[in-house]
Amino acid sequence: MTDEMVESLLKAPPFSKIDPSGFKRSLPLRDILKNDVRIVGFDEGDIIVRRGDWGNSAFFILSGNMRVELEKKQTSLPDEILGRRTSRVKTFWESLTQLWNNNSEPEVREIASVSSSKATFHSRNTHGGTRIYLQEVSAVLDKYRTARLEPGQWFGEVAALGRTSRVATVFSEGVSQLLEIRWQGIRDILRHDKEGSLKQYIEDVFRERALSAFLRTDPLFQACQPELMQRIVEQVEFHTFGNYDSHKPFKQLLEDQNQKTDGREPVIIREGDYPSGIVMIRSGLARISQRHYNGRRTIGYLSPGQIFGLDEIQAEVKSLTPVACQTQLSAIGHLNAVLVPTTLVEEILAQNSSSKSSGSQKTKKSIRSTGSQSVKLKDDILLSQLVDRHFVQGTSLMVIDLDRCTRCDDCVRACATTHDNNPRFIRHGPILNQYMIPNSCLHCVDPICMIECPTGAIFRDLAQGDIIINEQTCIGCAQCASNCPFDAIRMVDIRDAKGALIVDSQTHAPLTQATKCDLCIDQRGGPACERACPHDALFRVDMHDATKVEGAFAS
Amino acid sequence: MRNLLFQQRIAITTFAILSLMIVAGCYLFSITLSKTSFATGTVLLISIFILASYQLRKKLSILLIGNTSAWLQFHIFLGLLTSVVFLLHMKMQIPDGLFEFLLFLNYLTVFFSGVIGWLLSRRIPHRLLSRGEEVIFERIPLHRRKIHDKVKSLVLESNASGKGAIPDFYDEHLRTFFEGPRNQLRHILHSERHRHELSQKITALQPYLNSQEQAVLQQISEQIQLKDDLDYQYIFQAIIKLWPFVHVPLTYSLIIFAVYHTLAVCAFASTSG
Repeated sequence: MTDEMVESLLKAPPFSKIDPSGFKRSLPLRDILKNDVRIVGFDEGDIIVRRGDWGNSAFFILSGNMRVELEKKQTSLPDEILGRRTSRVKTFWESLTQLWNNNSEPEVREIASVSSSKATFHSRNTHGGTRIYLQEVSAVLDKYRTARLEPGQWFGEVAALGRTSRVATVFSEGVSQLLEIRWQGIRDILRHDKEGSLKQYIEDVFRERALSAFLRTDPLFQACQPELMQRIVEQVEFHTFGNYDSHKPFKQLLEDQNQKTDGREPVIIREGDYPSGIVMIRSGLARISQRHYNGRRTIGYLSPGQIFGLDEIQAEVKSLTPVACQTQLSAIGHLNAVLVPTTLVEEILAQNSSSKSSGSQKTKKSIRSTGSQSVKLKDDILLSQLVDRHFVQGTSLMVIDLDRCTRCDDCVRACATTHDNNPRFIRHGPILNQYMIPNSCLHCVDPICMIECPTGAIFRDLAQGDIIINEQTCIGCAQCASNCPFDAIRMVDIRDAKGALIVDSQTHAPLTQATKCDLCIDQRGGPACERACPHDALFRVDMHDATKVEGAFAS
Repeated sequence: MRNLLFQQRIAITTFAILSLMIVAGCYLFSITLSKTSFATGTVLLISIFILASYQLRKKLSILLIGNTSAWLQFHIFLGLLTSVVFLLHMKMQIPDGLFEFLLFLNYLTVFFSGVIGWLLSRRIPHRLLSRGEEVIFERIPLHRRKIHDKVKSLVLESNASGKGAIPDFYDEHLRTFFEGPRNQLRHILHSERHRHELSQKITALQPYLNSQEQAVLQQISEQIQLKDDLDYQYIFQAIIKLWPFVHVPLTYSLIIFAVYHTLAVCAFASTSG
């Protein structure tokens, strides 16, 4: 951004409404705009953000119109035209032929798949970069439900700040110009903007578009009357804890195991305090701990959508005296949460108890199920280790019970057979009690590997939730591999069928691609490693499913 | 755990019921004056083929044909059940013909190697976890070499000329220990006598060392511990890895013998009387 461009931006909304006096001398608004903002031009059909991608920037429309897709599932824009790999499950015969069709050379790719010559999506070099675009916008508009976004509107800010996936695909309708602002820029503006207009705007957007649906994911709010829900939506407070890029210090922490992580975690509710409401996690993870002699003992953790503080408020309603928190809640890494004030929670409980007395079995169940949602383990030392090492991030954490594992490596062999003779994990990793956590992708709930992927090649499969890499669009930049705190992504030199390294046509440098466990997404029956273990020693755990975690680590 | 106990009880009960049914069926069949050997032999041959198909299942890990663990449970169950059929087939007698005797021995070795493998697969994981660092089997030689190199550099550090108490001690007692896997039988038997002997020798050497040499010897002691743990890991991982190389070839030879035996019987024996 040139100084002239920054000047012109400062004279127009939304930046003209921001008071520059609130900013630090060392980091004035002008510098934030200069460093974290850029103006990007788009042509008709250019895809700006894709549903499911992890965003690290927000967009402000300067000129032209955008289209945002409205429908999900069947009627949404198909993955192929968005440049995303379609996960096709192999037939029985295709799986069988792998036994003799697998390449003997490591990491063989078809040159066509790397060069995208057979791709079903359309890409073009424009505005200084490669873009995927929709070829016939008018046909897309006829076929799919979309809404128009006009100049002066923001989009992508909720995903960028909340570290969540984009909820919809946005593409350019005609020629347009957007202001792209990195999350660091938004964070700094939100921090120093005295009037808080941008913050207010972002919160209002979330309140308007998503808060009600988010709250209703919890049984407590499901039976809420519309009028009460409306008041909840209006009065809910938004809170953010921890450092956005906390995965970087975490990598250092992993290297130095003697340091305790919980001491540095920002506290959300302190033990002994009276809760001002219930905390519901929007994104990130939270640790529940309790004082234990002169330290703190981890007794559970919360995942997105789970609630803290309800037990205390329920006890308060029963005893009519304030009840202090018996435990402490702190943020593990970066966390977004909403706080529903106590008065409103009491109203919900009163409403639910009245409907309970009128015989609603569903409400009865829902109140009971909100009591203790956190994931807990009998062995608190094991739990503490799982939390400290961030293994609780895993939605499909690979665990090997070494009390059962005979080290036969059938799991590794099965993985290799499934992936063209290239194993996607190493049977080696930290051991917690008798459980080994091998060097394999955890399919994190907060996949920081997806942040900063320039082509969106690493993405979460929307149907199954697995994090997978699209070989067609991976450019081998290694951003994901360096972001991954578990070193579960490996960069490999790719080869042709004859075993020769595939090189860049201009620089003649060997091409690399990121590889990782994809949970055998293209195979029937799921992960081959798990099915291949003769002793039931290898299993996968969704660390956010309390029942499964308890069952998996029971012995 | 409760679930596992329940499964075990179900398996034992089913095994007992099936065994009784086989014995009863064999008795009833014998009443009809038919040769029970044909029936038991046929069951036995089919069972051997089914048991051998487990190895094929392991190779076809990508196909959706049931979990390998379920196949293994069935493999063990059927393998144990064949012993009942085998005893009935033998009529509880040791065969007198040379070929039959070889077949008899072959079955026994396959059966007992299977049982031993089953017990090893239950016991060894626990022992591997109880001592030493978890190291991938193929990487053990590399780790051993690293330890040996470290010890050699410590020995040189104690006396650059290669002469002195520690170099002499190394040549006499430690060189062979660090060169390769040692004390394998003792590890299998859970004996730590070799470690006690070495530590006694180290203690006996200490009065003859200066403070610097004592510090070096202390570091060498730590490496002895590491190397010994590595040997422990090596021998148990080797046993569990080598065991299929006994059981599987014996199974193949059993299949060949059994098929030949069946052909010979079908060709020359009568089916009644």
